[in-house]
Amino acid sequence: MNGGDDTRNLGAAHRNGNNHHHSAKRPKISLPISESEIREEFSHHEEGVARINNGSFGSCPASVQSAQKNWQLRFLRQPDDFYHNTLSEGVLHSRTIIKGLINADDVEEISLVDNATTAAAIVLQQVGRGFAESRFNPGDSVVMLHCAFQAVKKSIQAYVTRAGGSVVEVELPFPVTSKEEVIDAFRLGLRRGKQDGKTYRLAIIDHITSMPSVVLPVKDLVSICREEGVERVFVDAAHAIGSVKIDVKEIGAEFYVSNLHKWFFCPPSVAFLYCKKFELSKDMRHPVAFQEHGNDLPVGNAWTGTRDYSSQLVVHSAMEFVERFEGGLEGIMARNQRDVVEMGKMLADSWGTNLGSPPEMCASMVMVGLPSRLLITSGDDALRLRSYLRVNYGVEVPIHYQAQSQREEGDGPRDKDGGRITGYARISHQVYNVADDYYKFRDAINELLKKEFTCRMIFTE
Amino acid sequence: MASPDGKHCRSQTNGEAKPPDSKKQKITELITDDEIMSEFSHHDASVARINNGSFGACPQSVISAQQRWQLRFLRQPDSFYFNDLKPGILESREAIRSLISADDVSEVSIVDNATTAAAIVLQQMTWAFAEGRFEKGDVAVMLHYAYGAVKKSMEAYVTRAGGRVFEVQLPFPVSSNEEIITEFKLALERGKVKGQRIRLAVIDHVTSMPSVVIPVKELVKICREEGVDQVFVDAAHGIGCVDVDVKEIGADFYTSNLHKWFFCPPSAAFLYCRKSAKFSDLHHPVVSHEYGNGLAIESTWIGTRDYSSQLVVPSAVEFVNRFKGGIEGIKKRNHEVVVRMGEMLAESWGTSLGCPPDMCSSMIMVGLPSCLRITCERDTLKLRAHLRECYRVEVPIYYRSPKEGEIDPITGYARISHQVYNKLEDYERFRDAINKLVSDKFTCPSLSA
Repeated sequence: MNGGDDTRNLGAAHRNGNNHHHSAKRPKISLPISESEIREEFSHHEEGVARINNGSFGSCPASVQSAQKNWQLRFLRQPDDFYHNTLSEGVLHSRTIIKGLINADDVEEISLVDNATTAAAIVLQQVGRGFAESRFNPGDSVVMLHCAFQAVKKSIQAYVTRAGGSVVEVELPFPVTSKEEVIDAFRLGLRRGKQDGKTYRLAIIDHITSMPSVVLPVKDLVSICREEGVERVFVDAAHAIGSVKIDVKEIGAEFYVSNLHKWFFCPPSVAFLYCKKFELSKDMRHPVAFQEHGNDLPVGNAWTGTRDYSSQLVVHSAMEFVERFEGGLEGIMARNQRDVVEMGKMLADSWGTNLGSPPEMCASMVMVGLPSRLLITSGDDALRLRSYLRVNYGVEVPIHYQAQSQREEGDGPRDKDGGRITGYARISHQVYNVADDYYKFRDAINELLKKEFTCRMIFTE
Repeated sequence: MASPDGKHCRSQTNGEAKPPDSKKQKITELITDDEIMSEFSHHDASVARINNGSFGACPQSVISAQQRWQLRFLRQPDSFYFNDLKPGILESREAIRSLISADDVSEVSIVDNATTAAAIVLQQMTWAFAEGRFEKGDVAVMLHYAYGAVKKSMEAYVTRAGGRVFEVQLPFPVSSNEEIITEFKLALERGKVKGQRIRLAVIDHVTSMPSVVIPVKELVKICREEGVDQVFVDAAHGIGCVDVDVKEIGADFYTSNLHKWFFCPPSAAFLYCRKSAKFSDLHHPVVSHEYGNGLAIESTWIGTRDYSSQLVVPSAVEFVNRFKGGIEGIKKRNHEVVVRMGEMLAESWGTSLGCPPDMCSSMIMVGLPSCLRITCERDTLKLRAHLRECYRVEVPIYYRSPKEGEIDPITGYARISHQVYNKLEDYERFRDAINKLVSDKFTCPSLSA
């Protein structure tokens, strides 16, 4: 089966007597999935690229793509029949699976949307209407993290600021060494942002921040929100499903969104938006008004005009894929975490740098400090370095520029040369990654250092 | 039905001198009937598919092009995002610009569908009310036969924000453009009665149900004469169905789906916005990184999703150019054939058409025999399902309330479509199905719920 087929360096390097491969219990399908089957499923990935950026655009195995094509074909074959007899059932099935995965009470609480960006528009439009219709007072605020995803920040600008709301930004420490640091900073930020007579109408908190990437103690942060009088909380968990366990009841937020095409093997694109039941009656609408306008959001989300719904219909195929792995989704998540931390440490050791957060605050991604001698001095430098690595070394990895925080005591972490660490690479680990991907990255950076390369040397076209 | 020639077309006969651009003509040979059948071989062959109007159709060669784009993304999505996506979308936008005779590619945005375009146009109205640029009670006008989703959008973005919406009553069946023009003028007058401004007129180019081609050029002219601020033409059935020259039509906004009559896969549509300072306030409702860079650019990135249907517009152009006369030729032939088929059906059933031939496009409304007793909208859905299940005919049916005093009124109309893949047998099967229902003394009330 797969016991002897372990050609992954990574597997050999750290299995250490832990036997993760058991023989198949079910004779018909070969379970768990073997290494060569995994390679086969992702054989469409470009060869020669160390693809260590699953976080940005996700990935989709061949068997799920195949299922998607079947759905697309069914629509093209007889679209009227598909629309009248097949579509809503298929979408309901997907929503039901998600409900089970995230421990929601009722499938009515689950809507399918394109992506987290769309979900943000839905929630923020509703907040905007609160201002426009004077249910909220001018100056009432929306709280967000300093490192919130840029698209979300723009959405707040478009729907909240424009409508007369104000925005409070809370900065979280990075690098970070414990969840208590995050909790303290968040509480402080909320208290500082309070103004007499003004209400916190909404807080937007990431479950796993994007750049720099850290797993936040979201349950604790939601509690703090309640303590500080925040009316409603929206958790932007774009990266969560397939990375960390999700229990929306435990987390307690009114809204929770996660993309299924990032870490849950669905094709682009599909995300779920969870809305606590009583919120549904409060006028939640998809930004594109639809035939069923006026009804609940979930029904409306099933039909936003003629489009390709196939990515929403393959959730159960993704589930089937996941269950071919040892330990199913939990097994995948545990191994991704273990492997990405190990590779992160390997890189940090080789370069004499650091990790941006402790293992318990990582899921399938970790921030690895880049050597100071590369002279990453701006966001532009980071972007250019990323392109440079892609073009010249076949390494795909996003780079974050960490400006020195005003709040920081001292002047931030330093590398083995004593220089300030200003750049971090966000490495991802997904089931298709092998140790060689990370060695390639390690060696690329070491070569750049040897050549005394700095970001200044990259000219923009 | 598929193509009048059914053969390869050689641009020059034996002995004639080759024209200077013979290289081009060598490549584009006309598509044959067999090739057309092959392009649509994924259609369920057992179905008489005479409803291209609802969901459109996409040929195999465009589907293949789409799959190539999808694979490119899956192969290396970062590289795709940074290097391939924007140029690809720009190429699509330029192809559209050329098709619709717009001046500048910045006037062309690609969106999911006409419903999204409507949301974009209407959303600016909500802000205008909220920010005091419009006054409460300012008016928006739309046709009574406007698409359901657009009506709901009007409710969401205009009525709710404090505006008033007036509907233009249109007669159906209709016998001339003048009838429509008269009703439209009346509605504008009603709108201005309390001295309020008419901020927006939403006019269908081809109404959905019942389907009629509206004289948009004339109506736009009237809007200008009556001081209507902005005119939005909803041409969901536009490109590939009617002539689309946006400068000639003269509206401020014009939207059309590309997956209905222009052979793109679901879904892709464009929104044309005439260049003008007024319109810098248009935004895509899904806000992302490009917010503030203009609608066209905002629409190029609304988060990670599958943009492949938007990227195959050039492939769709290639496809239509394999037909004689390109999209113009396809349009003309579709129109001629659907009228002929409509007349054939009406004659066989002893009914009539819903409008004169010059008021229809690639679709036509054909009256159904009154003895079928179509008494309400639910009956039309039941009959449609019955036709689908028992006769394998796919055709949407419209319910028309009879006027008082009408004897044996025609209350049901079938909206038949014609697209390049349709055959005579499709319409004959429909004809025979209805005739059978009539001879079996079938009535809609007899169908179970």
